[in-house]
Amino acid sequence: MADTGKDMLLYWGSGSFPCWRVMIVLEEKGLSDCEKKLISFSDKGHKSDEILKLNPRGQVPTFKCGDIIINESFAACLYLEDTYKSQGPPLIPSEPARKANVLQRMFEEPTLTKKARDDILLLYMTKKPEELDQEKMTKSKAALKEELALWEGYLVKAGGTYLDGGEFTMADAIFFPSLAILVRCGLKLAPTFPKLAAYYDAVSKRPSVEKSWPPHFRDTEGKPYLADL
Amino acid sequence: MAFATAGRSMKLYWGSGSAPCWRVMAVLEEKGLGKYDSKLISFDKNETKSEEIMKLNPRGEVPTFVIGEIVINESLATCLYLEDTYKSSGVQLIPSDCPKKAQVLQRTFEAPGFMKKGLEDLGYLYMEGDVNEEEMKEKKASLKAELALWEGYLKAAGGDYLTGQDFTMADCIFFPVLAVMVRLGLALRPTFPELGKYYETVSKRPSIMKTWPPHWKGTEGKKWLNNVC
Repeated sequence: MADTGKDMLLYWGSGSFPCWRVMIVLEEKGLSDCEKKLISFSDKGHKSDEILKLNPRGQVPTFKCGDIIINESFAACLYLEDTYKSQGPPLIPSEPARKANVLQRMFEEPTLTKKARDDILLLYMTKKPEELDQEKMTKSKAALKEELALWEGYLVKAGGTYLDGGEFTMADAIFFPSLAILVRCGLKLAPTFPKLAAYYDAVSKRPSVEKSWPPHFRDTEGKPYLADL
Repeated sequence: MAFATAGRSMKLYWGSGSAPCWRVMAVLEEKGLGKYDSKLISFDKNETKSEEIMKLNPRGEVPTFVIGEIVINESLATCLYLEDTYKSSGVQLIPSDCPKKAQVLQRTFEAPGFMKKGLEDLGYLYMEGDVNEEEMKEKKASLKAELALWEGYLKAAGGDYLTGQDFTMADCIFFPVLAVMVRLGLALRPTFPELGKYYETVSKRPSIMKTWPPHWKGTEGKKWLNNVC
């Protein structure tokens, strides 16, 4: 009998792309009965005693499967795919060339996150405008644009809707949330990146993605930090 | 079957002292695939941007890894690919048993954060010569706190390795990073005796001895991380 996730518990925060990944994978694997506890970052909910007991780093996603704790979004996603391989679509193909492509794209995502979040967004969010090194910010934005061009090329090469072609895979579960955050922060994909724009529209409509869309994204506008990219 | 050729259809471009390269090399040895075509490049001569590598890896980085027609870059992708594809060859690096699998995956994916705190945000900055000692103080404190977490993990696991008595993928991914930090002057004892013991034990493992960065033998490392612990 298929597991529906009712022995699972996920602590998550709205707008956290690592949490979003795990939620997408849970949906794709038919584990929607996972109990989900939403915390508020502004109330420091991720540092609660309840979470610290399960995750001494005080971070989300913090994830439990029965008695098994598995934090770190990549770990949770890989654990779920491997353990529930026979449920839902295979998110990591078994055919060697496809498997290699999916794994590689998954682990290229952190480079995008570094160039977008660490080198740009975090600085805008934590520093006053006069504290910012404008020359450095310009260079960082150029680097991000180059990075996005790489991903545009990957979609062209894959020749389908998704990062591995015609099928939605773990690569998309990992990459899409990060891309969506950038769009939320004002990034305009069209006309410079037409494949990425089409990708964004297509994946946004996928049921697992719609279902786990950050709730506060629906009610509010993001800050246009990347509008001038 | 590829494992019967002990890795002969495989080619790895790597640089001495690169923790990500070392991870892949350790996994290749553990899986009995040590007969791969080994292409050592020079960082000093900027050989990662050679035509040969750029054709296989547009990011111009190592490790760059080829198996027949398949290219798979990003150390975590390559390591996971090898473990999954050659599961029954050599040492099983990711357990099948769920609780152990979860723990190995979680430790594996905590390692990148450790690398960021100790190398990307600290050690590498010394290498680039771009060091503000005041800023370094805070980063060193952050690394010390991170090391304390790993010390706790080892103590709780109660064996020779990160998750207990068995050497796993977690060690393949974590140890090279720790070793680079030690090379840059990190002194584990007396503050972190478990980590000290772990470092000595894993250093003697055949796969690790075989893949020890060649230019480290017979030369001194740096003293940049001397005062972290």
